[in-house]
Amino acid sequence: MRRMDTSWRATLTMTLRTSLLYGILSVLGAAFTLPLVWMLSVSLQDASGVFAQPFQWIPPSPRWENYIDAVTLFPFSRYLFNTSVITVSVVVLTVLSSSLVAYGFSRLRFRGRDALFAVCLSTMMLPGQVTMIPLYAAYARLGWIDTWYPLIVPAVFGSPFYIFLFRQFFMTIPREYDEAARLDGAGRFRIYWSIILPLARPAVATVALFCFIGAWNDFFNPLIYINSPEKATLTLGLHMLKNQIVGSGSVQWHVLMAAALVVMIPNVIVFIAAQKHFVKGLQMGGLRG
Amino acid sequence: MRACIGVVILAVFVAGCGGNQQSAPGTVTYNCPANAVEVAVLQKEIPAFAETSGVTIVLHPFSGQEKLYAMMAADKAPDIFYTNSTMRDELAASGRLLDLRTVAAHDPFVGRLWPHVVDGGMAADSGWYSVGNWEFTCGVYYRKDMFDAAGIAYPDSAWTWDEMVAAARALTRRSGPGGAPARYGIYCGSHFVEALEIMNGSRFPRGGTRLELPATSREVYRRYLDLMNDGLMPDLRTVQALGMQAPQLLQTGRVAMLVEAVPHQSLIEALTVPWGVAPLPRFPGKAPAYFRSASGGLSISSHTADARASWKALKWIIGGASTYQPNPVLRDVDFVGGWESRYAALRGSGFREVWDLSLRHNGGDPRFFVRFSSWASAPIMERLQPLLDRVWARELPVDELAAHVDEINRAARTQIETSLRTSVYGSSFRARIETDLQTMEVAPAP
Repeated sequence: MRRMDTSWRATLTMTLRTSLLYGILSVLGAAFTLPLVWMLSVSLQDASGVFAQPFQWIPPSPRWENYIDAVTLFPFSRYLFNTSVITVSVVVLTVLSSSLVAYGFSRLRFRGRDALFAVCLSTMMLPGQVTMIPLYAAYARLGWIDTWYPLIVPAVFGSPFYIFLFRQFFMTIPREYDEAARLDGAGRFRIYWSIILPLARPAVATVALFCFIGAWNDFFNPLIYINSPEKATLTLGLHMLKNQIVGSGSVQWHVLMAAALVVMIPNVIVFIAAQKHFVKGLQMGGLRG
Repeated sequence: MRACIGVVILAVFVAGCGGNQQSAPGTVTYNCPANAVEVAVLQKEIPAFAETSGVTIVLHPFSGQEKLYAMMAADKAPDIFYTNSTMRDELAASGRLLDLRTVAAHDPFVGRLWPHVVDGGMAADSGWYSVGNWEFTCGVYYRKDMFDAAGIAYPDSAWTWDEMVAAARALTRRSGPGGAPARYGIYCGSHFVEALEIMNGSRFPRGGTRLELPATSREVYRRYLDLMNDGLMPDLRTVQALGMQAPQLLQTGRVAMLVEAVPHQSLIEALTVPWGVAPLPRFPGKAPAYFRSASGGLSISSHTADARASWKALKWIIGGASTYQPNPVLRDVDFVGGWESRYAALRGSGFREVWDLSLRHNGGDPRFFVRFSSWASAPIMERLQPLLDRVWARELPVDELAAHVDEINRAARTQIETSLRTSVYGSSFRARIETDLQTMEVAPAP
């Protein structure tokens, strides 16, 4: 009887604990999802619906035409092409350069390596506002203003944060792999390209994901370096759309939210895709023992 | 991976297209507002202008102060860009702006500008560094249907502050939850209080170097705060939190009267309810002095490759480009008639009276960011603004704000003296600042 009582109590405790955990997670999840749901709801309403009180979360007659307005009020397809080319370039170059530098820091032994790594990391501490004018002046001297070079070329030199991420990951890959490959006659680059990089798929997926989101959503750099409307990115397009809407009435949040949601879609797709690769990489990687 | 590398190669090819297409003789770059409609209209008209003038305008719609300063630091400033009074003198003093007298001498276009517009672009060295590209006054927009329902006569050009308060009281509806107003009588953003100060007799010299808070200004502050204290006007923070913009406040019936810019294109386009506009209310015994903006205009970079082409382009932007016509800075255009023909709702709305009054009794631009000289503005405003915010939040009594004036002026003076030592100013500007400092009477520290 006592044994049954204890078992019942344990089940009850477990159920309560799980319920509490799920409850907290649900509240947190709702808190994070709420702005997105608000965006979605507003994007399907008319101008007056945004400020209606009480707010109607489910619009009685959804205005799907807001989405058509959102992609026709500015050169959406051109900006989508521009943003895609810039983002893919930045992701590919950043992953390649950062992983290569990180490989050096994690696998090569040379004098001053750790000091150099510390210097590399310290560049993260410099706020963008400090480097903005010198960088602009440098790019201007190179004749790169109003081109995509200032947005793409820095990716060739890696990013300290991603170098750090890759290095930490590479350090967890046993050196025996390198030694085995070396016995088979592989050189440094072959080891990096054929052994380390495939094993580091989770890190590649993580860096690619962060990098994609960063480049896709970047507003400040295109604002500073791009002058011509035909070279603009989607974020600049949204900015332009906001001003345009202001000029023809008040800010029409419903159209702006629809445009912002459309611009957000690739981010969501890439996130889902990268998440899958991330898990797959963990399963297929050589770290399971 | 191959596809990605293909994209990178494509990007490298495409990325290099264009670039640095500025500063060639006959080609002028213009930092226009980032507004797709405006850009489209300008782009359509630029070829015709190029054909007649020989000047090609390249639009740079993605502007911003940070970008402008970065461009200047790299000697890549656009040829034409917007400057406001806060930055204009500072840029002129450091040799960044072209003195327009060098290109505009004997140009009949100057005669087309209102004298106060020309005067507004003059800096401390008497150089002419910007041409006002737009002007506006302000007034009280009101809902005619609400006035009719409350049985109140529409405001006329001589209405007073007390009459406005009485109307606001009659129009306020306290039917919200807990007796809170579901509709407020009036809303006036705090940035319009300065316009009320001049209506109450305060006068501020342009390019001031010290903060003054005369009794007439303090009285206006108290009256303004009373609107909130009496529940006739929504709390400023509530309006901010709502995220509503002026047209929405009036359109949705949250307020019955609204102090806003006249003309206000987006408001006119957004209102579908019957409305009118009245001048700002007068204060008894005070001469009318209506607000007239003069904060900004178009300047030409001193590094422009072709000053004459830039001047031609600037004149066209102000007086030719259809998107800015009819332009109120020009004295030979029928501004009111042009707007009335564009927006039928303006006819009989009171717009003509409000505009004419502001021309006849031009009180200038007393806004804080315009009131002070370029070098005094930041030192004063960075100390004054936090205090003003507390006053509007009803956390700091107006008299206590007045008690801070000497302290603000002392700190501003010290900062201007430091800036004079460390900044590179042209000799005429330096002499002017030194004279200002000598004549700047500041109470000694207690």
